[in-house]
Amino acid sequence: MRRPSIFLREGIPTAIRPDGTLDRTHAPDISTERKRELYVAMLRTRVIDGRLERLQRQGRIGFHIGSLGEEASILGSAMAMGAQDWIFPCYREFGALLSRGFPLQSYVDNMFANANDIVKGRQMPDHYTSRAHRFGSVSSPIGTQISQAVGFAWAAKLKRDPITVAVYFGDGATSSHDFHTGLNFAGVYGAPVLFLCRNNQWAISLPSNEQTASQNFAEKASSYGVAAKRCDGNDVLATYHTITEALGYIQREKKPMMIEMLTYRMGGHSTSDDPRAYRVDDEVDRWAKTDPLVRMRRHLEHLGGWNETDESEAKQAVEQELSQCIERAEAAPPPELDTMFDDVYQTRPPHLQQQASQLIHGPRAVDPHLR
Amino acid sequence: MAAQKDTLLARYKDMFRIRRFEEEAARGYAKGKIGGFLHLYIGQESIAVGASATLKPDDYVFQTYRDHGTAIARGTSTRAAMAELYGKDPGISRGLGGSMHFFDPANGFYGGYGIIGGHVALAAGAAFKSKYKKEGTVSMCFFGEGATNIGGFHEGASLAGLWKLPMVLVCENNTYAMGTPFSRTSPVEDITKKAAGYGMASDRFDGHDVQEVEARIGAAVELARSGGGPTLIEILTYRFRGHSMSDPGKYRTSQEVEERKKRDPLKVTKTQLESLGCSEDEILALENQVEEEIADAVQFAEEAPPARHDVMERSVYAPSNYVYPPVGQP
Repeated sequence: MRRPSIFLREGIPTAIRPDGTLDRTHAPDISTERKRELYVAMLRTRVIDGRLERLQRQGRIGFHIGSLGEEASILGSAMAMGAQDWIFPCYREFGALLSRGFPLQSYVDNMFANANDIVKGRQMPDHYTSRAHRFGSVSSPIGTQISQAVGFAWAAKLKRDPITVAVYFGDGATSSHDFHTGLNFAGVYGAPVLFLCRNNQWAISLPSNEQTASQNFAEKASSYGVAAKRCDGNDVLATYHTITEALGYIQREKKPMMIEMLTYRMGGHSTSDDPRAYRVDDEVDRWAKTDPLVRMRRHLEHLGGWNETDESEAKQAVEQELSQCIERAEAAPPPELDTMFDDVYQTRPPHLQQQASQLIHGPRAVDPHLR
Repeated sequence: MAAQKDTLLARYKDMFRIRRFEEEAARGYAKGKIGGFLHLYIGQESIAVGASATLKPDDYVFQTYRDHGTAIARGTSTRAAMAELYGKDPGISRGLGGSMHFFDPANGFYGGYGIIGGHVALAAGAAFKSKYKKEGTVSMCFFGEGATNIGGFHEGASLAGLWKLPMVLVCENNTYAMGTPFSRTSPVEDITKKAAGYGMASDRFDGHDVQEVEARIGAAVELARSGGGPTLIEILTYRFRGHSMSDPGKYRTSQEVEERKKRDPLKVTKTQLESLGCSEDEILALENQVEEEIADAVQFAEEAPPARHDVMERSVYAPSNYVYPPVGQP
């Protein structure tokens, strides 16, 4: 059993105090209504996570990669972004996509890889994307989205489009060479990129202190002349505040910035992982005390903006919506066989026409068990 | 004083050998006797010689494709080196590698590499082997400033820092990555700033004084050998010739080159020798020995038999007893 050495957020500013009151120097100036939206978005993410994990265990979907414990770092950052800004996700940010108004039905269709799936059932579950919501594709290969986001941001800069491109990655990705080339390139060309390192303490089973010999992950940015800050990623208001300031810096200075959000992956890496094989329970228990939902709820209750009824109603609403979505997704047919030949060439060349014809007239088309 | 003089004379001889070797190589290339590419080390000799003086025979050295100087400083004979450039069988890589691919493990030289930055990961691997087997050896890796933007550098340096490997990363910052000044490819000018991101020690200095190179690299080698982990060293230097023989160097002015030649490491060392009481005749006698050695190396390379087809065929796969089944039969 191993454990990451970084536990205490020493010197890291926190907005929500243990008693639910606010340290205003590190908190954003937003309305109680907006705070409720932040909390509901986190709650919704957590409810969906729980249900999808159960669906996977029941064998109804193949895979899910969740964000249990990391809701504040994901929603606090995504919801601080402007509507014009782009997000390039890692693979744990479905909450960010939903917060942009992406229909829950579309997300569930993606989980079931059915005919309505936005990526036509060609990928693993949790590989969503949406141009309309300014949200890049999920990258399974570690770190590749970093270079992609930098290229996208550089293009925006050349076109004088005043947007910021945020890119999420984990602590492990900082060892990938895309991190190295991406940060260097952004530093040289002043690309408007917000590098969001979700330091959840574990790269699958590798604790973050065995990932690098540097003091922390933010420190790495100075190698590339990129400004960096660390924030309490389990405090949604502190995260929101840090990101708002970073966005201001990026547009004002025309330079990239990196934020290391300290958080903790309370669940497994994905549904294919059982963390009990490599970490001790008391570590999870310690982090559970800093659960981002508990902290935010305490603050809302302190403001008088939330109570037990609100909580159960909000949960129920998500559960109901989710149940309907799942029902529809399961009833939808799989993608038509013929569609797998789409999107490769603008017009289908003769050899693919021939293959498509063989496939749709072959045994798979006739025997439903082969489908 | 006498000991210092003798040591410095030996260093001067080593640097002069590399300089003359390369000048003759350039001549051979211009005459069409050498094929492929040729990257000259002229102007940077103090680094190869100063660094090699700090190493033991069984330490590991990895270099880029600008590798002749370092191989010779490690002990590769000028005969074997020149024969390699000429593509001849007695060459250090049997005439099959050419200028960019010298390989001489007997002298602790583990290769010149054509892929920018890729060999940093290999050198980290050698350092890991050393630590794992408790060899007490050190792995030294040379690379240019341009390579520090490459993924191989990031991965090699990251692991070296993390596992405290006995490694010395020597960045020979010769001012231009081909024709690109470093400022155009990196927002930070001081490469050693990257060391913090890998949790390793660092040092940065001018490379024209062989004695200083030896002392500063020596400290890093000592740290690595005693288990103190890797060091990232940036040495500011300058190549007097083009990036390769195909480069006319139009990205810099001749004044700039002339200005830098005032700090030619050979000139600097010569002045130091004179101040130590070395006579011109002493230096000349030594230079003449080198001239003879280089002339012999060229003649040897000219007369040597060409690289062999059967050696090439045997050099691709390890020996195997597997007998391929006959083809065309059921």
